[in-house]
Amino acid sequence: MTERDRFEAVYDAYYPAIYQYAARRTASPDDTADVISETFLAAWRRIGDVPEGERALLWLYGVARRVLANQQRGASRRAVLAERLRDELATERPTTPVELRHVRAAFDALPERDREVLALACWEGLTGDQIANVVGCTAVAARTRLHRARKRLAASLQQQSFPAPVMGEA
Amino acid sequence: MNDIDNLVRAIDPAPRAPDHSPGARELRAAILAEDRGAPIAATRHAGRSGPRRLLLGLTAAAVLATGIVVGPSLLEDGSGVTPSYAVTKDSNGIVYVTVRDFSDAAGLRRQLRDLGVPAIVDHAPHGQKCQEPRGTYVEQIPAGLYSVPENIPGEARGPGWRMRIDTKLFRPGQTFVWTITDSPGGSSTSTILMTGPVAPCVLVPDDTRGKVETNPPYRVATLKDRTLAGLRVDEKTVGEVLPELEKRGLKVKFLIMGIAPGNPGGYGELRTQDTPVGDDWIVWEAEESTREDGVIRLLVTDKRYDRNPVYGGPRDDIIKE
Repeated sequence: MTERDRFEAVYDAYYPAIYQYAARRTASPDDTADVISETFLAAWRRIGDVPEGERALLWLYGVARRVLANQQRGASRRAVLAERLRDELATERPTTPVELRHVRAAFDALPERDREVLALACWEGLTGDQIANVVGCTAVAARTRLHRARKRLAASLQQQSFPAPVMGEA
Repeated sequence: MNDIDNLVRAIDPAPRAPDHSPGARELRAAILAEDRGAPIAATRHAGRSGPRRLLLGLTAAAVLATGIVVGPSLLEDGSGVTPSYAVTKDSNGIVYVTVRDFSDAAGLRRQLRDLGVPAIVDHAPHGQKCQEPRGTYVEQIPAGLYSVPENIPGEARGPGWRMRIDTKLFRPGQTFVWTITDSPGGSSTSTILMTGPVAPCVLVPDDTRGKVETNPPYRVATLKDRTLAGLRVDEKTVGEVLPELEKRGLKVKFLIMGIAPGNPGGYGELRTQDTPVGDDWIVWEAEESTREDGVIRLLVTDKRYDRNPVYGGPRDDIIKE
């Protein structure tokens, strides 16, 4: 296989996953398109570094994560490569159902580190080991972070249910 | 904690996962057209360098045909696996093409034709290519027409590949055009879906080999801050444009453009020459040399076409300044 074949295979296999990863974490179609195109452009330029098999996806998540971090630091680049893609993305996005808005609010209120591991676990469906691979920490640290994030979210939702803590009399 | 995970899953804001949309295919083609600094010479499609590539930046790849698969390189590492290729067809019209060695282009062509795959297979020796353009690229490739080349089952480390083609999805008049090019240490192939008549392969020297496109020898001269900023040359005759360039003391060369049947947009570079062309030839754009000051290259054809091949339509649709 040439590098081109390899890139095409990686792109075709993981485009939907990276598309969703980007869409989940960006507010506008422009930003989504940027993250997708920057991520795959990096993959094309460094195709020799992309690991085999499913680890390729974790590698791509890691790149997308850095692209996103740079983008959020300001000066986001408008990828000219993804013009048509941007138009496609401009179509509707799902909104959070009314009955789950409180969950969304509690999630959004979590620290970024918590949100990141929860999203990787629940939206991308990654295990602790895989999360460690993406964010660049040890598996133990990833599992600890995930555990704490779940607890914090649970506590936050608990508080929402009982907005005024009842002081027991007994 | 499963409940928490379920709740988080329930607020997943992801849009529906797209199947491979035109935007996705276009992005893939645009990324593949990006230079990586170490181009694999023969896998780049001839005629898509130079101004076509420049267009990529200007028009966001809209002009780049999405229908291009620049295909696999077949490293001939002397493993001596036989047969060199095999084509099989199942009852649903699915054809599997397994290739280990492309040197027998004629045999492969014959076998594909016998199984009802409209395909042309040509072979270009090292240093040569088929002269472009040969036909009209199909922009909208039916989903599922072909698969990305994959490893031959059981031969993951071998040089060959396997490709799946659904012959039911060919539209009338469409042809797979495969060109196999020898290069030192292996060979590579480009696969392009074309429609309508396809010109036979006329071998010409491949001078695109090894060019690093991040520093193209020519760039559009009529943009802001360039040599001819503010001057419009597109769709004028050579006779109208030349006097102005001469008045400015510029040296003029001519890129003779090749236009595919039906002028689908885009062009091939037949040659660049110093020899003047007729005053009645048509200019579609002017470029400046990035190597020598004061050298302008006019992109010309010997007759007028219904739309500007450089931009696939009016220049004003593409360049807004």
